[in-house]
Amino acid sequence: MVHQDEQHTIVDGRLLQAVVENMKLPLLQVARQAELARMSGSTDTNFSSIELTADTALRLLDNYLLSTRLASRRGSLEFEPVSVSAVLTDIAHQLSKLADQQQCELQVNISGRYEPVIAHRAGLEAALMSLGYVFIEARSAQPVTSGKRIIRLGAHRGRSGIVAGIFTDSDSISNDMYKRAHSLYGHTRQSLPGLVAGSGAGVFVADSLLETMSTRLRVAHHQKFSGLAATLNPSKQLSLV
Amino acid sequence: MAHILLVEPDISLGKLYTSSLELSGYSVSHCRTAQDAITSADENIPDLVLLEIEIAIHNGIEFLYEFRSYPEWQDIPLLIVSHVVPSRGALNPKSWGLLKISGYHYKPITKLQDLLSSVERVLSSDGVKAL
Repeated sequence: MVHQDEQHTIVDGRLLQAVVENMKLPLLQVARQAELARMSGSTDTNFSSIELTADTALRLLDNYLLSTRLASRRGSLEFEPVSVSAVLTDIAHQLSKLADQQQCELQVNISGRYEPVIAHRAGLEAALMSLGYVFIEARSAQPVTSGKRIIRLGAHRGRSGIVAGIFTDSDSISNDMYKRAHSLYGHTRQSLPGLVAGSGAGVFVADSLLETMSTRLRVAHHQKFSGLAATLNPSKQLSLV
Repeated sequence: MAHILLVEPDISLGKLYTSSLELSGYSVSHCRTAQDAITSADENIPDLVLLEIEIAIHNGIEFLYEFRSYPEWQDIPLLIVSHVVPSRGALNPKSWGLLKISGYHYKPITKLQDLLSSVERVLSSDGVKAL
C-alpha cells in the first residue's frame, strides 16, 4: 500500500512537472508580446505591468522546476564557493522593477565581509528570488510604516554559518506561523494567511531549493527586521578575509 | 541588410522574434522545422542563425550537426535560443566550440532586448550590420 502511494506521488510529481513546463510557454508569449508592444513605442503603461507580472510568474515556475531537478540529483550536485553579497546584490537588481511596481523599497544589507559559502549557485539564487517575490507581494499589501515599505536582502554571521535571507520592516512572520504553514501547505489555499493573500508558493519553492543544499528556511531577524533566512556553510577553502 | 534564419517551432514566439528583429532592421526567415530551415538556408544564405533546439520531428542538435557538416555553412554564426537549460543534455557548454555556437539564451530569462543585443554583437564582430 505504501509502495503504491509512493508510485502515485512520483507519477503526480512528473505530471505536475510536465504541466508546469507547458505553462511556461504561454507566459513567455505574454511577457515577450508585452515587451514588443513597449519596444514598438506604446505608451500604455499596462504593457510594462503585464510584462513584469508574466516574467515573475515564469521565473517562479522555472524555479520550481529547478527545485525538482536539483532534488532528483541530490548527492551529485555541483556545489561551489558562492559570494552571498554578490548573490544578494544580483537578486536585488532583478527584483527592483517588481519592488518599484509594488511600491516597496529594496535594500541590501550585508553586515560585514564574509567568506564565500558552499552552495549550488543557481539554486541559491532561485531560492532567494522566489522568497523575494513573496515578500514584495506580502509587504505591498500591508500598511506603510515610517513612510516606506522596506524589503531588506540581508546577511549576517550566525552561530553555525552565514545567515542569508529576506526581511521586512513589518512584524508579519513568526515561528508558529511558519510551522503552521508547513503543515497546512498542500491542504489549504492559504498556507501563510498572515503574510500573503495567495498560496505563498515562493516560500515553499525556496525551502525545497535550500533543502537540496542541506539547509532549510527558518524565521530569522536581521537588524530589527524579521523574515525568512537560511544558514549557509562558509567555504574554508576560499577564505579571503 | 543582415539576414537571419530563425528556427522556432512555436508560431507565436516566432512571430514575436521576427517582429522585434525586423523592427531593428534585419530581414528574417522564420522556419518551424529543421527541414524547412535547411531549405531556407539553401535558398538564402543567412548571416546568422537563431535556433531553438527543442523542435519537432528532428532534434535541434541533429540539425546543428547537419548544418555544420556543409562547408559553406560552417562559419555562419549561430545563437541558441532555447527552453532547454544550457548545461543539460548533449549541448553542454563544452561542445559549443566544436559546433561554433556564438551564444546561448535560455528563453525564460531572455528578454527581446537581450536577444537583440546578442544579435548585434555577433553580427558586428562578424562584420555584418542591420540596415
